Amino acid sequence: MNSGSIKQLKKPLAIRLGEQTVLAKSLVMAEHPFDRRDFLKVLGWGGAAVALSGCGNGSVEDGKETVVSYVETNDYMIPSISVYFNSTCTQCDAGCSITGRIREGRVLKLEGNPDSTINRGKTCGLGQAGVQHHYNPDRVREPLLRTGDSGEAITWEKAYALIAEKMKDVSGEEIAFLSGGVSGHLKVLLGNYLDSFRSKNHFVYEAIAPAVMRAANKKSYGVEMPRFNISKAKVVLSFGADFLGAWVSPVHFSQQYAQFRKGDEDGQRGVLVQIESKMTLTGANADRWLVVRPGTEGILALGIINALGAAGLRLSGDVAGAVKGYDKARVSKDTGVSAEQIDKIVALLKARTPSLVLAGSAAEGYAHGSQNAAAINLLNQVLGNVGKTVEAAEVVPFPQMAPTTGNTAALKKLNDGLAAGKYKVLFSYAANPVFTAPGAMKFKDNLAKAGFKVVFAHYLDETALQADLVLPLDSALEDWGTQVPEYLATCAQINIQQPLMEKLHANTDGKGTRGMGDILLTLLKQRRAEEYKGFADYYAYLRGALLKNKVALGGHKVDDDTFWNETLSKGIIKLEGHVSALSSRSGTAGLSLPSPAAIDAQYPLQLIPSVNASLRDGRHTNQPWLQESPDPLTTIVWDSWVEIHPRKAAELGIEEGDIVEVTGKNGSVKVQAYLFPGIHPDAISIPLGRGHEALGRYAKGYGVNPFQILDAVFDKETGELALHETRVKVSKTGSRVIVVKDEGPVGGRQMGKKIAARLPSDKVKLSEEI
Amino acid sequence: MHRFLRLSVLLMGLFAAVGSYAADAPQSEPMTEDDLGPAIEQPIEFPHVRHAKDMQINCMYCHTYARRSAVAGIPPLQKCIGCHNWIDSVKDKPRIKTLFEYWEAKKAIPWKKVHDLPDFVRFNHERHIKRFYFQLNRPVQEVCGYCHGDVKEMTVARRQKLLSMGWCVACHQKDHPVTAEGGTPIGNQAYWYGMRKPLIDVSGIIKAKGPNDCSVCHK
Repeated sequence: MNSGSIKQLKKPLAIRLGEQTVLAKSLVMAEHPFDRRDFLKVLGWGGAAVALSGCGNGSVEDGKETVVSYVETNDYMIPSISVYFNSTCTQCDAGCSITGRIREGRVLKLEGNPDSTINRGKTCGLGQAGVQHHYNPDRVREPLLRTGDSGEAITWEKAYALIAEKMKDVSGEEIAFLSGGVSGHLKVLLGNYLDSFRSKNHFVYEAIAPAVMRAANKKSYGVEMPRFNISKAKVVLSFGADFLGAWVSPVHFSQQYAQFRKGDEDGQRGVLVQIESKMTLTGANADRWLVVRPGTEGILALGIINALGAAGLRLSGDVAGAVKGYDKARVSKDTGVSAEQIDKIVALLKARTPSLVLAGSAAEGYAHGSQNAAAINLLNQVLGNVGKTVEAAEVVPFPQMAPTTGNTAALKKLNDGLAAGKYKVLFSYAANPVFTAPGAMKFKDNLAKAGFKVVFAHYLDETALQADLVLPLDSALEDWGTQVPEYLATCAQINIQQPLMEKLHANTDGKGTRGMGDILLTLLKQRRAEEYKGFADYYAYLRGALLKNKVALGGHKVDDDTFWNETLSKGIIKLEGHVSALSSRSGTAGLSLPSPAAIDAQYPLQLIPSVNASLRDGRHTNQPWLQESPDPLTTIVWDSWVEIHPRKAAELGIEEGDIVEVTGKNGSVKVQAYLFPGIHPDAISIPLGRGHEALGRYAKGYGVNPFQILDAVFDKETGELALHETRVKVSKTGSRVIVVKDEGPVGGRQMGKKIAARLPSDKVKLSEEI
Repeated sequence: MHRFLRLSVLLMGLFAAVGSYAADAPQSEPMTEDDLGPAIEQPIEFPHVRHAKDMQINCMYCHTYARRSAVAGIPPLQKCIGCHNWIDSVKDKPRIKTLFEYWEAKKAIPWKKVHDLPDFVRFNHERHIKRFYFQLNRPVQEVCGYCHGDVKEMTVARRQKLLSMGWCVACHQKDHPVTAEGGTPIGNQAYWYGMRKPLIDVSGIIKAKGPNDCSVCHK
């Protein structure tokens, strides 16, 4: 038989067999319940059969596939060989230096730059996901002008003309420029642009910034951001500072923490005590984790000072006076931390010096947040840590480039101005207040009162959707820039940001994305043409500005081109910074802490909006790697949850997976419940970052946004938003889901195997512990 | 027993269904040793014969990536222009005119692939050129020709060799000299290729086979 006739025969036979089988299959399945395991086996064999039939050279595409070569190329560009360029990570404000791996002109991977004293060659998960910011399919690719409810794509020329026209007759008072934290030359250009209108309305807003701590540090130490030497400390007492997760400069602190645990200098392993109301990643790593009643961190700090005094530490008169009333019995009653635990902490602090006390965002998020932070800083001073583990950081000797850090007081000011209809033109850059402002502020409604809203955006986020004009930005891996990090590790440095590859959405037909620096430069040329005519683009401006200061930047021995190329190659300019000594005034003046508030009968629970190490305030929620990387403590992915203490849950009849309604004075959200022992029974916690109504396919519609139900309560001293001051109630809705998480059905019980032994705190014999 | 029967009925059904699908798919004809690849129409009919045979240009002058990287790549357009900018005698020829049209528009030439391997195969040009050209001092056209055939006789390149796994393995099973004639193997050099003990044949030449491990090509 030749092969042709086999083929002819085979086909009808197979079809017949196929039909019979389908029939037989359905009969069998109807008669007997079909075992899942059998079904999988059959599927497996079926897959194998498909794979076999697919053998041969079916995937070879000679004559079909096109191979495109370079038109012109540099000698170092060799197909399949990677090249590496240094730049700066912009996923958060820590200012880690990165090295991008580029192959065939495309950036594939980001790693840390070993030369940086901040991250020393390491990155975090957030930084790793930076490529997904760049390749995100939902990026805005052309300037969009609002016509009714939709956006019309326009050219940049038209967009600039439109801005010039709108800005023609406005006074400086009628302009508002909202931005995230800015530093470096971008800050200079931004400042000059506003200056050209004599406008002072630059609102620098960060939804979750340690702004209260900065203010408290300024009062206690004389600087906003001193250097915290975790590695030098023998004991770290952290009041809710999640320095391994999302606090200030986590990659740097993680390395310091490793040295602290190893005891690099004398082999003595450092002891970490974490005091907070909701366990953070840092809390989970602590030797001792103490749950404290939300908002009473300051009381506990003063109680510890009092107990230290009682244990023989010499206190100055004003300190002794300030802590007089905070005896152990009262403090224990107010905070829920037992007297025995306070004694233990005091013994630890006395036995091991130097120590380090940190005031984190959990302690700051209250109406008396400044007082909490001041009390905690006082503990540092009493212990003599100032100058040892709390040191003055070096300062970059170019004050005009120093970071302008964001806070939430700026948002309030802007919101008040918007509500009063003060602004004719509003710009927004690197901020998404429609998503992150507390619902009680009614920011979205107030924003509508601004005359003309220009939003510089990578994606159509909630704020960009409200804009009249959306200007598309280059990604961080396509743009030029300089950056001065707020937290400087061991030396002063200026970080260089440079393109790692060509623009993905290049400038065709006068549309496409552009760099923020280029946009500001063009806008400045509308105002001060003479002054800026020498700079063709932002690159030329940056190069010119850095070369002008070549000597001060350490390039006195080399010519301009060498200096510039070396700078780009290193990605960092390290400088001799100047250090000013910390002041050691003890900040007892005006220190007064309120007693814990009585439990509200209608809204009995305290809502803690928690900060996840990778999602933060939600600006990166559209990076699927971050959505799918499990939360370190609950292992939940792609969704929000509410953490409830098991005892409280039992009281309310809530089980894991119940959809509960969390209701506050300013709205409610429906979210799945997760029973979590690491939280105060009178508090619940919902992570921030999810619950977007926009921001693209990977963010929209996943989870809930706790920002929307926050009350607008402010810290009395700094005017910062008190994130933890919202009280809520929880009720069951009746529906249930299966919580999608990594840890498996038995929860955090380590599959029944005692991998890391745990002991409830009441069973611990404190006298036997370190 | 009943369960077993049930399973086998299901399996039969699946195999039959898949079989019928496979029968529908166009079956590629079995290839033989002297099979030529498809004749491929290229945007410019590049005359290899003129460059490699008449002008005696080293293959690696244009295919410069082959000795530096796993993939040979295609020469950048600037390479062509680098010479042809100075060859006035052929500038009015239609192919060269087309070439300059691409160059002036700064557009890449959309060449079609001539030698393609399945995606699960990783052939490394660099290692083969290091081994046979630099180590054994074989002539470059011979070394490239092991896989690409006698390109110097072609205008547009066409696949001449089978490039199937059996064809690759056939060569990897041969005993190849470890060094050029008169050379001495350095250290354990001989082992690097075969991962096995080299043999010394009657004429005293140390020889070794090519690597035979699956993971060498199937990463």
